[in-house]
Amino acid sequence: MWDRIEFLFSEAFTALRRNILMSLAAITTSCVALFLTGGVGFAIKGVNEYAATLPSRFEVRVFLKDRVDQDQIKATAEQIREIPGVASAVLLPREAAWQRFKQENPDYPTTGLENPLPDAFNVRLTNVDDIEVVAGQIKKIPTVSPGDGVQFLRREREMLSQAISVLRLVGIALGGMMLITGAILIYNTIRMTIVARRREFRIMRLVGATRATIVVPLLIEGMMHGMAGAILASMMVKGAHQFLANQLESFSGVVRVGPLDFNQVFGVMLTLGLAYGLACSLFAVRGKME
Amino acid sequence: MAASHIEFSHVEVAYTKHVTALKDFNFSVAKGEFVFLVGSTGSGKSTILKLISREEQATAGTVSLDGLDLGSLHERDVPTHRRRLGIVPQDFGLLPRKRMWEQIGYAMRAVGKTKREVRKGVEQILEAVNIGHRADAFPGELSGGEQQRVAVARALINDPEIILADEPTGNLDPHHSAEIIRLLVELNQKGATVLVATHDVTVVEQFGGRVVTLQGGKIISDEVRNVG
Repeated sequence: MWDRIEFLFSEAFTALRRNILMSLAAITTSCVALFLTGGVGFAIKGVNEYAATLPSRFEVRVFLKDRVDQDQIKATAEQIREIPGVASAVLLPREAAWQRFKQENPDYPTTGLENPLPDAFNVRLTNVDDIEVVAGQIKKIPTVSPGDGVQFLRREREMLSQAISVLRLVGIALGGMMLITGAILIYNTIRMTIVARRREFRIMRLVGATRATIVVPLLIEGMMHGMAGAILASMMVKGAHQFLANQLESFSGVVRVGPLDFNQVFGVMLTLGLAYGLACSLFAVRGKME
Repeated sequence: MAASHIEFSHVEVAYTKHVTALKDFNFSVAKGEFVFLVGSTGSGKSTILKLISREEQATAGTVSLDGLDLGSLHERDVPTHRRRLGIVPQDFGLLPRKRMWEQIGYAMRAVGKTKREVRKGVEQILEAVNIGHRADAFPGELSGGEQQRVAVARALINDPEIILADEPTGNLDPHHSAEIIRLLVELNQKGATVLVATHDVTVVEQFGGRVVTLQGGKIISDEVRNVG
């Protein structure tokens, strides 16, 4: 059995060696295609996760001043709820927010640090168009922190939504084109292997080799193209993530790039790459090869 | 008369409406026979071999081997069928970048033999056709006769019961032609049924035996020629 597998793989490697330039072209194109589709997929996932941490379109976040006591908090809640257009006001206690921050940012050095977060309210509106008016009235409440005490992220949300749309479009358009180009290249490489090795295949057929013996190395060859492309694409995703994180460092506090689970990226990319290579080579070897 | 090993019954092979290789062709070969198929180009002799190896299929009639209709053979069973045969192509079919022992080893590996079986078998097979001393040579370093010997050796990897040789002397001088036919005769004497398609009248006259002459896809004579 092992002997058989070794033979099939050695046949695939022979084909790769003979078609090295075409193989490299197929691998690099698959890499770019997987980076654009898979990488953009991970970018969209990241943006979605970031967006989930922001207040929704119908929400206003209200931060209170430091050292506001419980009675004042209750009074503030009453005042907010009385404003027309407010559906609900839920308290976000500073201790709970601090615990959550520590859980979400395990790398952030919080030991010995006093909780810097204020108490806050999550205010839901009945109509998103009233957001400016409601925010203006909340700002007038004395316990509310002046300046950025009232935050509503409608514009940011819209920008994020647009960013996701653009990313999706780029991913589908460019990635799709590259996927098709990569597929054509893998298909051509496999067909070239068939032409280049027609003598071997003829002899194999004459001596009674099964179709699987002839075809499996070609499928392995296609899968190797996909796999090599996927490994490179994973590294490119990691590099791009690192680059983006460094670039956005200066905007820290406004936009944060979440951590990247490289094992997950690698696993997904590898699966996609292998399936992609297999599909292309299956297409190339379909029917008779004479 | 021995029972038919290979049987052609009312076989017709038509490539197009106007090109027919065999017409209402009836022919049989007994086990252990040595048969020369003689005729000019296009007479249908190669088609007969291809029908037996299932490289071609009859458009009408049946071709059977030990009673098994080869036309009804499923595509996935063709490799198993071919392992009963040893096919010697006219152009030797050697791989230019492989040494002689590798040519045999590669074919053996392709049919599922293990590395150990290859190590054991290659030398034996090359010796059987008296080419063991050139095991490390590349095809370009051998004469036509030696190359054809290797092609015959490769046909022996499955220990075939039938050997089909299509113009095995087509690219050889008279001396090497005789050498190859002698080799095939030796294999026949060891029990293999041998069919040789050739237009080389000299070797046929030299070796004699059953000679089937074809013309336009039909048998015009089927006789046993004795060599004096």
